[in-house]
Amino acid sequence: MRLYEFEAKKLFRKYMIPVPESVVISRDSFNELDKVVYPVVIKGQAFLGGRGKAGLVQFAECREEAEAMICSILGKKHGPFVIEKVLLEKKINIEREVYIAALIDRLEHKLLFMASKKGGVDIEAITKDDPGALLKYYFNPGEIMHGFKARTISGDLGFSSDGLGIVAGIILKVYKLFLGFDCKLVEINPLVLSKDGNIYALDAKIDLDEDAMFKHRELKEMGIVARHELGELTQREQIAKAKGIPYVDLDGDIGVFPGGAGFGIAAIDLITLYQGKPANFMDSGGAPTQEKLRAMLGLLVDNPKVKAIFGARFGGISRCDDWARAIVQYVKENKPEKPMIMRMAGNMEEQGRKILEQAKRNFPELFKKIKIYAVDTPIEQVIKETIRVAKTQIDTENPPEADTDCADKE
Amino acid sequence: MSIVIDNETKTIVQGITGKNASLHTKFMLEYGTKIAGGVTPGKGGQEVEGVRVYDTVHQCLEKHPDAAVSSIWVPPRFAKDAILEAIDAGIKTVIVITECIPIHDMLYARQKAKEKGVVVIGGNTPGVISPGKALVGMLPKITFKPGRIGTIARSGAVTYYLANSLNLAGFGESTSVGLGGDPILGANYEDILRLFENDPETDAVVMAGEIGGVYEELAAPFIEHMLKPVIAYITGKAAPQGKRLGHAGAIIEGNMGTAHGKIEALQKHGAILAQTLSEIPILVKRALEDRKRQEKPG
Repeated sequence: MRLYEFEAKKLFRKYMIPVPESVVISRDSFNELDKVVYPVVIKGQAFLGGRGKAGLVQFAECREEAEAMICSILGKKHGPFVIEKVLLEKKINIEREVYIAALIDRLEHKLLFMASKKGGVDIEAITKDDPGALLKYYFNPGEIMHGFKARTISGDLGFSSDGLGIVAGIILKVYKLFLGFDCKLVEINPLVLSKDGNIYALDAKIDLDEDAMFKHRELKEMGIVARHELGELTQREQIAKAKGIPYVDLDGDIGVFPGGAGFGIAAIDLITLYQGKPANFMDSGGAPTQEKLRAMLGLLVDNPKVKAIFGARFGGISRCDDWARAIVQYVKENKPEKPMIMRMAGNMEEQGRKILEQAKRNFPELFKKIKIYAVDTPIEQVIKETIRVAKTQIDTENPPEADTDCADKE
Repeated sequence: MSIVIDNETKTIVQGITGKNASLHTKFMLEYGTKIAGGVTPGKGGQEVEGVRVYDTVHQCLEKHPDAAVSSIWVPPRFAKDAILEAIDAGIKTVIVITECIPIHDMLYARQKAKEKGVVVIGGNTPGVISPGKALVGMLPKITFKPGRIGTIARSGAVTYYLANSLNLAGFGESTSVGLGGDPILGANYEDILRLFENDPETDAVVMAGEIGGVYEELAAPFIEHMLKPVIAYITGKAAPQGKRLGHAGAIIEGNMGTAHGKIEALQKHGAILAQTLSEIPILVKRALEDRKRQEKPG
């Protein structure tokens, strides 16, 4: 979970990592401008890099100028994100800038501290041209950083006399924050030495581990809560998110009601391979509740683009009987018209099938368009049938005008 | 003897009193898995499905010193501690069913396991099954048949579909291993491929991979050194860029972890790529026939 710069800097302050004086301003807090000392740098708050190039970082000499700039930045789109806040910081006159970061190396399964004398620019571009410019220091998982190690890194960055100890102190605090908040990444680019001899973290990037949020209740008190960071959500994605369902809209006409994520991904491939168009990705997670399963089905049934629903349950920790019960209740309550072609196999399959068969006997009209295959039918066959059925639905809704055309030709 | 677990393997269930763990303890017992005991701190002395519950893994091992495998079903916040407890007590293989384990926690537990030579499978694994012999985890038994094909996959359902496709074509599995869907995994493809390569009960290996991470790419060079054929099935070709597809790991970021990159790497090193699940047994059959022909020229 990526943090905004102003949120990351809140954590920096907590760990005594020096940052310039600042205020955060949104549309309804312009009065905060009273606190600002000019000249000032104005930075649009976004998850994506490249803010400078996008005109989201500007310098103002006076309040009037600042207000105009803030108005031009707020509401602007940066990638999929709309800028809702700007950070105003005292302008620092830079003497030197370096790069430091603590992160997880997923290939080596180790913790990694990186440093470079070439700060303030795109670090990936630098390392491409000059790999040696990026210094790497590995640590075992959970290992703390000792003072001598931090001083070594500080020295490698070219700091000496007073600067050596001060920067080493910041390196230690960054690493401590990295471990302390279960971060995937803490990055300062640039860390600067100002002309008046002070050191500041000018930018701040933090990526937290969503799965470790439960350990850090104080984040919530600081206003840092889970959010969606992969772009703007469609309306349906928002509904799904509110119900705790990982869901992605895909614009096709075949609703995908899978079990877990792994098969959800496979299903999208297979539908595409057979020239169908999936309407969505979805993930039930392990052992979903009945309520969640019904909500998943509802998302597809309520989507006007969806012409047919492909469903699959391979019961492991998620049981077939729970799945069947959810479908039956959903169908009884909502009486969906859309055809559903599904397959059910795995744990508690027999019980699941009994539930479905009984429902079919009791409500034959409601279950007319619902077919549920068993373990002996290959999943590809079920997918092909769903694609066929979806196509028939489209044809009946928009009868081809071919008949009249033909008549004319004759 | 099959890899990881066998009909003689004695196992422990950590977190046995939980809802899922107790249900699957029942299923495991029905399948013939030998369960020496369960562990839930503070519930020692109770019984689950006739299995004795202990407060600690150490206590359980005092009574059952021959238990060698432990499966972990505890909530994510206790997972690191549970894995470390198993390692400390002398367990040799830890199968971690728990999902969404904090990354730093899992890295730490993984490191300790490596230092002690302990095999950790998962987190977020559906488990391991050697059909007809033993099952540890929550894999549905109906899906698996005894046979001579080894399978490896990251997600649960894909593990089941692999076996299902093989069975529909008359094949069966020597062992099926779920690596898990969490971003940090204990065992990776190469670890399990190595076990299958040395397993006299396995003739060929089917590995399924998915977008995200680079575990598949990392395993590719090893395949070149294997005598047994490897059939690979990679999903996520039609996945949208930059969207997280459920699994914490399944996201395409830039060029890293794309289906295309994985397929290319695997093909380059001699894996046989399947387009669909149904194609897998056809390719397995062909590969085994080719192998036979090579062994007996003319």
